[in-house]
Amino acid sequence: MENIKRQYPFTAIVGQDNMKKALLLNIINPSLGGVLIRGEKGTAKSTAVRALADLLPERKEISGCKFHCNPEEISECCDECVGLIESGDVTKHKGKMRVVDLPVSATEDRVVGTLDIEHAIKMGEKKFESGILAEANRNILYIDEVNLLDDHVVDILLDSAAMGVNTIEREGISYTHPARFVLVGTMNPEEGDLRPQLLDRFGLVVEVMGERETEKRVEVIKRRLEYEDNPEKFVERYIQDNNILNERVMKAKSLLSKVGYTDEILDIVARLSIELEVDGHRADITMVKTAVTNAAFNGRTKVMKEDLLEAAELVLPHRMRRRPFEEGVLDFERVKQIIG
Amino acid sequence: MNRSELVFPFAAIAGQEKVKKALILNAVNPAVGGVLISGEKGTAKSTLVRGLADVISESVVNLPLNITEDRLIGTIDIEKAISRGKKAVDYGVLHKANENILYVDEVNLLSEHIVNCLLEVSSSGVNKIEREGLSFSHESKFILIGTMNPEEGYLRPQFIDRFGLYVESRGSRDIQERKEIIKRRLEYEEGPIGFIKDWQKENHRIRDEIADAREIIKDVVVDEELMYFAADIARGGNCSGHRAEISIVETAKAIAALDRRKNVISDDIEEAAGYSLPHRMREIPNVNESRRDPNNNDKDTNRDETQNNASSNNSKTDDIRNRDIENDDISKRNNNNDDFMNKRDNDLTDEQIGDNSKKNDKSNESSNEPHSQEKIEQPLYNDKIIPLEIKSTNNVKKIKGTGKRTKVKNDSQKGRYIKYSIPKGKVSSIAFDATLRAALPYQKFRNNDKVSIVIDRSDIREKIRERRTGSTILFVVDASGSMGTKQRMRAVKSAIISMLNDAYQKRDKVGMIAFRKDKAEVLLPITKSVDMAEKRLKNIPTGGKTPLASGLYAAYELLKSYKVKEPDTEPLMVLVTDGKANVSLNKGKPIDDVLHMAGMIRNEGIQTMVIDTESGFIQLGLGKKLSDEINGEYYKLEDIRAKELKSIVNHRG
Repeated sequence: MENIKRQYPFTAIVGQDNMKKALLLNIINPSLGGVLIRGEKGTAKSTAVRALADLLPERKEISGCKFHCNPEEISECCDECVGLIESGDVTKHKGKMRVVDLPVSATEDRVVGTLDIEHAIKMGEKKFESGILAEANRNILYIDEVNLLDDHVVDILLDSAAMGVNTIEREGISYTHPARFVLVGTMNPEEGDLRPQLLDRFGLVVEVMGERETEKRVEVIKRRLEYEDNPEKFVERYIQDNNILNERVMKAKSLLSKVGYTDEILDIVARLSIELEVDGHRADITMVKTAVTNAAFNGRTKVMKEDLLEAAELVLPHRMRRRPFEEGVLDFERVKQIIG
Repeated sequence: MNRSELVFPFAAIAGQEKVKKALILNAVNPAVGGVLISGEKGTAKSTLVRGLADVISESVVNLPLNITEDRLIGTIDIEKAISRGKKAVDYGVLHKANENILYVDEVNLLSEHIVNCLLEVSSSGVNKIEREGLSFSHESKFILIGTMNPEEGYLRPQFIDRFGLYVESRGSRDIQERKEIIKRRLEYEEGPIGFIKDWQKENHRIRDEIADAREIIKDVVVDEELMYFAADIARGGNCSGHRAEISIVETAKAIAALDRRKNVISDDIEEAAGYSLPHRMREIPNVNESRRDPNNNDKDTNRDETQNNASSNNSKTDDIRNRDIENDDISKRNNNNDDFMNKRDNDLTDEQIGDNSKKNDKSNESSNEPHSQEKIEQPLYNDKIIPLEIKSTNNVKKIKGTGKRTKVKNDSQKGRYIKYSIPKGKVSSIAFDATLRAALPYQKFRNNDKVSIVIDRSDIREKIRERRTGSTILFVVDASGSMGTKQRMRAVKSAIISMLNDAYQKRDKVGMIAFRKDKAEVLLPITKSVDMAEKRLKNIPTGGKTPLASGLYAAYELLKSYKVKEPDTEPLMVLVTDGKANVSLNKGKPIDDVLHMAGMIRNEGIQTMVIDTESGFIQLGLGKKLSDEINGEYYKLEDIRAKELKSIVNHRG
């Protein structure tokens, strides 16, 4: 690990507050459904996702499991781990949540897993060789340029993201394993848009733009140069900031289950979706969850209207488009009005 | 507790009553024939189907989209072949699904080949395995349940007809219900095990209801009179074949049994029709289409026409409506169309509506075309999709019977592996599973000290892939002043929008070139962004002269370099023009330049579709001449806009 260049620290990224917030909320609450970061080139999209690695929490894993199953949640375990837990034969260790890359060029068999050829030829037995989705279970699945992904790979992702399970009926293999991941994608909209179906799977969407203020732009350059010049020293400088943020995330995580909301909050959410004619119910559910997580991030145990406002900004815009060619525009003033 | 047991309880799903009932009816009477659930994203479609497993005795077998043929049908069991030297069957999903429910999520995204296999088995109820030296068959009778989001494309008619029932799911518009949905979901996520326990009683109640109905249905009788009624309804809906009425009767029986009755009443038939007919009624001409029928345009002004069509539409559906089917789907569909059209009408001024009136065309045809004026016409949006079919050429094999732009390629690394073949030349992508299976029978003759299986060159099998993408369509649009008269550009834009809809669903790449004044402009290089194409198209102004040769040259250059970059693709050029060039490329006569360029495009082997916008009394036929020279497929703009296009397109390829 030592000879790998140190990651640019998350807290050293200038501006882009919405993007940073959306990423952090997903770490605090992985059930939010991921983030899609849309924006022009060179807006620190990838840097931010990679930098997340430093902030990711530790959790318990079952040792030797390819899917890093959670020993405390038997319902989310793979069949083998269920067997282990039931027989009381589990060894566990602490592991860190990771960012797993899905390159745009990935082939389908590498994504879902395939027949282990070596094993088949040597032993004459069928064995499942796991793929990226196995690796992604309980981790962040990161797709840079997600809009350029081959269509049939997108279909599989949709399927797994929806079910939390990867079902393989391919190449002589019949296998099922858990695949619950936080989907993080980046894209440059100039190169084509995402299908609405996949768009809807992303819990949150943020638009990033280059900084418009000269001062901030200069700051971006300065920090980048400093980092290039001496990464070790640069990272050192932000360790404390990163630690503070890390603590805040951990605290929010523990607070999450204690956050409550009033009936009025639910009422507003339902009204928002009806009045803005949002498709389906995913927006409602994600909006409430995001507001809850936002409250926890701010150290509160009660959801306020401002949490809802922030949630709406992340949850609604990409769900406004109704048909493939219709430009969905979120009337934010109206949102404010409804939230009151 | 196993993972598969942990699903959101069926009973806890708020709303979606029709979807729930359709699923339950299938559970009561498998003869109902499955259900297709169509609806917007996030409306609990999949959740409902997965929840169903808890309230019925059958299991729900999942058919993943990326299934390969061997796992669907079954194949030789590798392990048994090696360890015992025996030919045994390794059963596939069709075996698991026998007497159970076969569930396909996003069924409209399933590959054509798999759909064909499914259709064959679902009609015969038997799965025949004839492969890898095996000859075997087994029963495979299943209830097919599919969910789909219509935004992603439709199913082909043969397939959609296989589904006994059809229901649409949409988000609730009721605040209290929406709140309840959020609450229950969050409660479930907080503690799924406790939540499931809380709803167990309600789930059991549904299960008992179904079990009782299953007993009752054995004695349910249907009067002959009601069978006539069902047949009448099906006929009124213009349904082809007899599946509709059979499905209506079987569904009505299930409805009666659920209601604890042994006699079917006419209400049951009517309710059943609401589930069995909507997807089979496609042949009723809807307002949308008939409005665009050019034959109707001659006699009436458009306002009258709308009314006429609305009433003729009514009279065609009268058969059904007179029977007082208070069915949501049937009547709602038509109403929706009415609403939709009305809204469109309100958006337009009278003058704009005149766009497809031939009367206007005729009176204006001989007038001079303004070259200097510049304007932007907005397209008319509709839900219509104009299918574009790309011709198949030598190295692209088409799977038989497909109406879609799906291709099978042997030499491409892209696409989804669906089945294998014996390689003819150099193998680029080995199908290891098939190769292994091919090697199995010969193992005892081969020396295998170090490994269990020895693979010979002759065992090698390669992957056949199928993919939905791959087509590239370049629109080359005449935007000269002549296109601005008589709102021709509006018609052109509307037609292209409909084609773009098709391109979106088929995941094509698109590009766009417009030519006017003295040059051609690449508005959009070839990209996956159909959205962007639509935006650029909308803003094309008309005005100026017609540099047709420049347009052709730009297209030629673009496609030629594109073919070098993407040798796998078969680009299609859609050229929209009246052929009246008046700006030359060099110094020659404009028309000579055009014909020269047309020849170059022809020689490059670029497929072209020429859409001739010339209309009216005096026609020069230049578009036709161009099309002949370019070896293109020739259509008049009116043809494209009318529904005849479907049949034209089907003659291609």
